[in-house]
Amino acid sequence: MGGFFSSLFSGLFGTREMRILILGLDGAGKTTILYRLQVGEVVTTIPTIGFNVETVTYKNLKFQVWDLGGQTSIRPYWRCYYSNTDAVIYVVDSSDRDRMGISKSELVAMLEEEELKKAILVVFANKQDMEQAMTPTEVANSLGLPALKDRKWQIFKTSATKGTGLDEAMEWLVESLKSRQ
Amino acid sequence: MMFAKLKKKIAEEAATPRPGRLPRSYSKESITSVGADSGDDFASDGSSSRDDLSSQILRRNDQIRKLEAKLSDYAEQLRLMQKTKEKLENALEKHQDSSMRKLQEQNESFQANRAKMAEGMALALEKKDQEWMEKMSALEKDKSALEARLDQSLSLFQKRDEQDELEGFQMQELAKVKHMLLRKEEQLNLRERELKLRGEELNTARVTLAQTQDKLYELGEEHEEMLGINAQLRAHRDKLLREKEEAEWRISNLEAREEELQQLIQQVSDDFQKAQSDANSLQKSMESLQAEHDDLKLQHEQHKGKAAVTEEERERLLADLQEKALSLERRLEANLSQDEHFQELLKEKSLLVHRLNETRGELLEERTKHTTSVSTLEAQISRLNTNVSELQTLLRHKDDSSRSYKERTDTQIADLEQKLSHTAERSRSLEQQLEEKEAHREKVLAEWAEERERLQQQVSMQRQRGLEKTAKLDEEILVLQREREAEISLHRENVRLLEEQKAALMKDRAELENSVEKLNIELENSKAELNSRQTVSVEIAKALEETRKQREELQQQVSKMSESVLRAEQEACQLSEQVGVKEAELSRLREELETVRCSLSSLQVECEALRRESEKKDDQIESLHQEILTHTQQAEANQAQECEAQGDVESGTTAQPQDEVCVSEQNGSVTVGDVDELQKENKELEQQLSEKNKMIKQLQQRLTELKRTLQKELKLKPDADSDSKEKLQELKPSSEALLLAAAPTPPPGSGSGPGPGPGFAAVTSQTKVTNSSDLTDTREINFEYLKHVVLKFMSSREAEAFQLIRAVSVLLHFTREEEDMLKQTLEYKMSWFGSKPTPKGIVRPSISGTTSSWM
Repeated sequence: MGGFFSSLFSGLFGTREMRILILGLDGAGKTTILYRLQVGEVVTTIPTIGFNVETVTYKNLKFQVWDLGGQTSIRPYWRCYYSNTDAVIYVVDSSDRDRMGISKSELVAMLEEEELKKAILVVFANKQDMEQAMTPTEVANSLGLPALKDRKWQIFKTSATKGTGLDEAMEWLVESLKSRQ
Repeated sequence: MMFAKLKKKIAEEAATPRPGRLPRSYSKESITSVGADSGDDFASDGSSSRDDLSSQILRRNDQIRKLEAKLSDYAEQLRLMQKTKEKLENALEKHQDSSMRKLQEQNESFQANRAKMAEGMALALEKKDQEWMEKMSALEKDKSALEARLDQSLSLFQKRDEQDELEGFQMQELAKVKHMLLRKEEQLNLRERELKLRGEELNTARVTLAQTQDKLYELGEEHEEMLGINAQLRAHRDKLLREKEEAEWRISNLEAREEELQQLIQQVSDDFQKAQSDANSLQKSMESLQAEHDDLKLQHEQHKGKAAVTEEERERLLADLQEKALSLERRLEANLSQDEHFQELLKEKSLLVHRLNETRGELLEERTKHTTSVSTLEAQISRLNTNVSELQTLLRHKDDSSRSYKERTDTQIADLEQKLSHTAERSRSLEQQLEEKEAHREKVLAEWAEERERLQQQVSMQRQRGLEKTAKLDEEILVLQREREAEISLHRENVRLLEEQKAALMKDRAELENSVEKLNIELENSKAELNSRQTVSVEIAKALEETRKQREELQQQVSKMSESVLRAEQEACQLSEQVGVKEAELSRLREELETVRCSLSSLQVECEALRRESEKKDDQIESLHQEILTHTQQAEANQAQECEAQGDVESGTTAQPQDEVCVSEQNGSVTVGDVDELQKENKELEQQLSEKNKMIKQLQQRLTELKRTLQKELKLKPDADSDSKEKLQELKPSSEALLLAAAPTPPPGSGSGPGPGPGFAAVTSQTKVTNSSDLTDTREINFEYLKHVVLKFMSSREAEAFQLIRAVSVLLHFTREEEDMLKQTLEYKMSWFGSKPTPKGIVRPSISGTTSSWM
């Protein structure tokens, strides 16, 4: 009902804001990515207890980007934000091989949600500037992405601190969102 | 064979549990999976193309060519595989035999070893126990020795304490002495100050003395001055006396002169008396003359009276005669009548004029007589007068001379008297002055004497006093100096004594320190020894513990080994079964290959025919199309046939695991049921494996999570962590391999509905399982999260707030109604129109409200 109303509401005002969630384990670089996307700068961040929400404009498309804290104790609250989500940016710390399994289980649990059935999935294999970083294919395999069905997804290698890979990812996201509309 | 491999693997893992091993194994495993995937890709690619015909044909051709190439490859591979398979089988057999033998041998040897080891262990333990006992006894001895030393050291400590005490006393005494010294010095300072004060007093006294001496000097000067004045005065007096004498002499002179003058005056007075007597006589004569004159005058007067009376009588007679003449005239007049009377009266008148003439004549006579008498008298008077005048002139002369003389003498006398008086006065005044001066001098002298006396007295007194004072002060100074010296000497002595004491004490102390040091050294040595002994004992204990642990571990290992042997046997059986299954699959694949090759050759033939046809008949494209369609249908049918053939092949595959030679390429003689059963078993095993893998994975996740939280909160040392890590890594490779094997299987719980999935449940359960400290932490984090969300909810735009309703209601455990109400309210706020939703009794649903199940 709320979705209907909001869609009606936004319909009245023309372009609707795209709702994007940035998810991922703690310390993956979500907040850094959010502010890199918004202001194009690397900001010093503290662990997000809660969330950050910013409006990012990219190629005449307005995104309402939600960066949700990824700490273990507050991960269950992610599902409170799933409704009306157009795309999910799932950020993975490529250098954290130990927690790749947890990351995968979280991703799988998230993708099973009914509310996210139509959401586009963009995986950011972040921290590519690190030495022991896994390659995007490795990340994709360890997250079990090739097995996904009924899901439009893509993986990008990124480095939020260096700012590489973010543009390509957003380009792809914009294109896929436009084509979906 | 597999058992041997596994054992080797285990041995390797046990020997080198390195993290670097992980990716290597992973990559090994991944090669096969990648290969499998590429096949899948190919298949999907093949199915996805169906749009353009020509392109398809071309692609088909390409594919066919590729397939041919691949087929040849496959054939080669197959041949190779067969060879290898033969080899492998031979090897397998050999291996199996050898492994069995080895296993048995090992088992036996192991048993023997175990028995031996147990015995050896028991023996070793006994030995060790004995050794330990010995060591313990030695240690106890050591301990007793050390205790004795400890006592010694304790006594030494006591000594040191005493020494410390002594030092303290010494310090105190030193402090006292210092204090006394300080006090004495203070006193000395005080005395010195007093002395200084006295000196100052002395100085002041000296100053006053000097002042008084000055005064004295001044007074002497004054005295001298006074003496000068006195001398002057004396000279003056002498002068005055001389003057007086002079004056007296003059006075005497003057008196002589006076006497002379008095004699002269006497003379003069005699003269004067003579003259006076002359004068008196003259006066008498004059008086007589005067009396004569008076008589004469009186006579004259009488004469004048008589003349006046006779004249009056004559006048009266005249007046009578005139009257008689008048009376006679009248009578004559009256007598003529009266003439007779007149004549009588004229006769009487003539008588009377005659008488008058007679009286006149008489009068004239008288008058002449009188005048003559008067003239005589007058002559007499004139003569007398001349006489008198002569006398008078003479008198006058005399008088004048006497007067002049008298005057002269008088003036002289007066002068002299005046002078005398003046001189007398002067002398008197001088005398007076002299007297005054004398008196003054005497007075001054007396005063001066007095003053001098006084001053001298004062000076003497002062001097005496000063002297006394100085004497006193000197005495005092002397006394003080003596005191001071005595004190100083005393202090020195004291100091010397103290120093001696100190030196003695220092010596004592040094000795004591030396002894303490020695003792300390001994103590340290003994401590070190003790420590070393303790460490040795600890080490021994540790070694004991370790040996015990080793024993336990060995026992455990033995049990594990036996278990693993059993498991390995089981696994060996399973693996042999799997080998059989794989062989069956291989044969099946071979059959498939064959059929595919057959179909491909037919398709090739057809394709070539078609191509030829298409080349030949360009205008018959439609028909060709149809033909192609039919061909494609045929192809599909072929595919279907292929599938069927596959099914057939599958059913028809002869996969006998236990059989030795399975190289027979087509249509084995084994029954279909067996294969099916085997496949089923295989699948079941795979499923079980995947499930177990999942379990393992979840457990691993939980383990890593717990580890993380533990690391975070308890800050475990990395040693313990690394232990656990090693264990984990032991577990990992196999599990990871299994994971990849299970990758194509659908993700767990994908079929579950919109409710909380099992994965989520697992996550939540993960969070719930954390220990109590973690729980409070999570509560805190939850609270912080709630705070943040509520803050954002209140501060953000309505569009964002709308998205947050869910989070807020979850965090605050809102009921469905409450959440809906919130949503409606926000919608109402966001839209321009619409009515405000009425709160329908949702103020108190928190009692009966059904809180969402997933919190």
